[in-house]
Amino acid sequence: MTRTPRDLDILQQHIRVLNPRNTLRVDWAVLLLVLTLAVIGFLCLFSASRSAAASYYQRQIVYFLAGCLVAWLIVCIDHRFLVSLAPVMYGVAVGLLIAVLVSGRVAKGGQRWLSLGPFNLQPSEQTKIILVYMLTWYFTQVKERIHKLPYFMVAIAIAAIPALLILIQPNLGTAACLGPLVFVMLYVAGCRKWHLALMLLLALSVVPLVWIQMTDFDPGLGEDAIKATDANRAFYELRHYQKKRIYTFLHPEYDPRDAGWQTYQSKVTIGSGGLRGKGFCRGTQTYLRYLPEHHNDFIFSLLAEEGGFVAGVALLVLFLLLFWRGLAFAKDCPELSGALLATGAVTILGFHVCINIAITVGLLPVTGIPLPFLSYGGSFYLTTMMCVGVMLNVPIRSTMFD
Amino acid sequence: MIFAEAERKRFEGPRHRVTHIGLGILIAFVVLAVQLWRLQLIHGFEYRINAERNRLHPQRLTAPRGVILGRNGEILADNRAACDLVLVPAECQDAAAVCDEIEELLDVDAADLRGRIDAAKRRPFEQILVKRDVAKSDLIRVEERAYALHGVYTVVSPQRRYVHGTTAGQILGYLGEIGPDELEQRNDRYSMGDYIGRDGIEQTYEENLRGVDGNTVVTRYAWGQPQLRTDVRGKPYIAKHDTHGHELEEAYRVDPVQGGTVQLTLDIDLQAKLETILVGEVGAIVVIDADTGAVLGMASTPSYDPSVFVTRGSNRERAELLRAGRPNPMVHRAFRETYPPGSVFKVLLACAALEEGLLDEHMTFYCPGFYQIDGAGRKWHCWKRYGHGTIGIVNALAFSCDVFFYNVGRKLGPDLINEYAAKLGLGACTGIDLPREEAGLIPSREWKKEYFKAVYPDQPWEWEWRTGDTLNTSIGQGSVAATPLQTAVLMAAVVNGGYRVRPYLNAALGPQREGPFLSERTVETVRQGLFKCVDKDPPAPTGTGNQAKIPGMTILGKTGSAQVVSLVHHEDYETEEEIPYHQRDHAWFVAGVLDREPRVAISILVEHGHHGSSAAAPFAKEIIEFLYRDQPNPVTLAQRDDHP
Repeated sequence: MTRTPRDLDILQQHIRVLNPRNTLRVDWAVLLLVLTLAVIGFLCLFSASRSAAASYYQRQIVYFLAGCLVAWLIVCIDHRFLVSLAPVMYGVAVGLLIAVLVSGRVAKGGQRWLSLGPFNLQPSEQTKIILVYMLTWYFTQVKERIHKLPYFMVAIAIAAIPALLILIQPNLGTAACLGPLVFVMLYVAGCRKWHLALMLLLALSVVPLVWIQMTDFDPGLGEDAIKATDANRAFYELRHYQKKRIYTFLHPEYDPRDAGWQTYQSKVTIGSGGLRGKGFCRGTQTYLRYLPEHHNDFIFSLLAEEGGFVAGVALLVLFLLLFWRGLAFAKDCPELSGALLATGAVTILGFHVCINIAITVGLLPVTGIPLPFLSYGGSFYLTTMMCVGVMLNVPIRSTMFD
Repeated sequence: MIFAEAERKRFEGPRHRVTHIGLGILIAFVVLAVQLWRLQLIHGFEYRINAERNRLHPQRLTAPRGVILGRNGEILADNRAACDLVLVPAECQDAAAVCDEIEELLDVDAADLRGRIDAAKRRPFEQILVKRDVAKSDLIRVEERAYALHGVYTVVSPQRRYVHGTTAGQILGYLGEIGPDELEQRNDRYSMGDYIGRDGIEQTYEENLRGVDGNTVVTRYAWGQPQLRTDVRGKPYIAKHDTHGHELEEAYRVDPVQGGTVQLTLDIDLQAKLETILVGEVGAIVVIDADTGAVLGMASTPSYDPSVFVTRGSNRERAELLRAGRPNPMVHRAFRETYPPGSVFKVLLACAALEEGLLDEHMTFYCPGFYQIDGAGRKWHCWKRYGHGTIGIVNALAFSCDVFFYNVGRKLGPDLINEYAAKLGLGACTGIDLPREEAGLIPSREWKKEYFKAVYPDQPWEWEWRTGDTLNTSIGQGSVAATPLQTAVLMAAVVNGGYRVRPYLNAALGPQREGPFLSERTVETVRQGLFKCVDKDPPAPTGTGNQAKIPGMTILGKTGSAQVVSLVHHEDYETEEEIPYHQRDHAWFVAGVLDREPRVAISILVEHGHHGSSAAAPFAKEIIEFLYRDQPNPVTLAQRDDHP
């Protein structure tokens, strides 16, 4: 039974690409956590549907089921096969991102959607998970050579290409997600710490750049003036609405009815929940529409309003258990590829949870970052469930060695 | 067990590095939990209050103002529903088209309206005022075009209505928006934009007329404003749907209570008659019930219509009114303007001298046409150049002999004149329930000293009271000043037997009088004189007030011509018509009716009307005829149960 684990040896070694029996070997704890989180999401959306013509929770259940199907597929497929396909997926993803830039549908001020008949594809969402595979493929290829700076730089470049394409769309939230992802995966892959520190330093050098832009920012600009400044801006400059978000975050007293409205009302919504909350479907702030996007990016506020501190912390604990379990898989996995995949999936989810909640509680300026399992939306739910699938797939491979 | 040692070592790195990632996530979560703790548990209460403020919309329900009624229950002031047209831009399909449509229907500038819509771009659900107080015919046309006017609504608000327009306008007063200072003083019951009585009855009885505002608390959505409406009776309520169509839930409600009704003693028909009589003149007429002091009519010209103060915003008529010079329509001449009473003052002197025993019905003085202090020096003229000859009190009153009253005045002296003036209602406010009454002036030694000290600080000899001052005062000239209302109160004392009445307008106040200050004998003598003044029965020579005579009625009267400038100036002109308007005498006539019910005292003043006998007395006749048009027969003393 002694076998040398060979990470990518499909051509030489016979492996079963598709194995439906993997379904029986999934980790029940993760499954239970995912189901609990999904149900909490449905309940929140049920409450959010009270004040809207659309019934969000019904559609969300459909998205969840579709996501389950994708996750099940990922569970059944040997991840070595998917990792070996990563360069192809990466190429397609970059191609789609360019396609979006060339002929994308404009929504909410950014070119993010690609119309495919009845479906609207948001390629930037799936780029996250594809990048996880791509980096895993790359790290398993270079192995310990990652210690060397050129190999390190190539990893950065792999992440930077889609990140820049997404940033141009512009979709700051998704692009920002790729940074921590590559950071974490490089760290786990065993790169040198000072390389990482250098990268961090470079990333932080953006801060003074933004700071200089913010010094002469005028939030009360007219519509035509905004268009003019946006058209004439330098390549590194932020758009007016992005600057305004940072500005209102730094100056919450400026125009609380307009730009600072969301953060202020989100804090009121969460704070008014108190210890035990106002009760299921009894939230006033969300029902009376003081909090825009309360079914979407601000759904955590709804949960904290109706469920209070108890529910908020309970959700954090559920996520923590899920991530702990995911990282435990990574730790226990004998292969580098499995460890990297699990860590990547946890990083994607963890980043979204932390940033989303930090925005709703007023610790960060408003950016469009959804909350896994709770926020309404099919595209992101798919990403979430893919991450879950990846997480579940990793331990199956490692137990096969026993 | 299945790994080679080298392989195991190779994965050592990633393993403990994965733990670092886990620790990183844990730290982030702890930070989030701490922030949640801060928001929900430490500042939870404050945020709860904020959320409740968001959720609950307290709306004051303005109480309708009380109604003002006339003597017989006629409505003088009430409230009507004013319909404002507003536009909610977010609910218009095409705001520009709606603006054009409105311009076509109403007299509204579409460009201006579009500008205001653009200005409110950030608040798309704000109601933008299209036009205030739209006429009913315009409202119907708007209603007919409703299909093209989505987002246009009418908002109803109660508005004060003065039913009779100019008639009694100055007495009713007007309303004005409360100022910031007043608001600070009485913010318990008022808030910004509230109306408050600014003059007349509206001001005096502000407390009675103002109702108790109600309150309602409704849920409020982030977008969409609760709308205030009123029912047909002017009672406000919150519309069931807000401007955005959300159904509102009422959490709490206290109904407003309409202000109290104020019934006046004012007879609106008489008031209208008085104002018609005065048309074209500048002057005032007061008619009071001599026994109670109830004001039956009190007119002043020029007057104004308080309705011009009703609408909000600027208003040309109002601006003109507030800027008006003399004659100022805002000033009610019956109690806010003082005039020298002239010969009318002789009634007071007669009463005082008779009551003090310094004069009786048999005492006579000789009038050569002038009076000299101690038979020498400056001549003080009688209005009748060649004199009245030997004359007693009755004829002196009937023919208004100046020389007789110079003598009486000297006998009385300034102190007694002041004492009786105070007793019979001159020189001090009568106490009528209207704001800003003028007190008038009866000069006294103390007054002169104080006044002249200020004017001639280094000429002490000018401060002393002189006999000449007494003479001037005796015929109601010099510094004597009285309002028509005060002379009406003086006349009322003669009619009612010596009581000083307090004139009043609010029927609820009821009569209030002091006295009697005069004996029956005094009253009888003065009445004789005043009756003779009006009488023109041949063969007796006719009195100065004969133009007020109505056969079969016991009418008392006294004329007066108050000099504005000294008599000497008048001699510069050949005929009276040549005297410039502003130098002409004020014409006075006070009258009383003894044998009808109610007994009234009338005071008429016509500014620069020359002679009381010709300019004012005929008005008295007209008024009395109107007052007793249903009472052809006299009321005997026996029929009166409240006869003193």
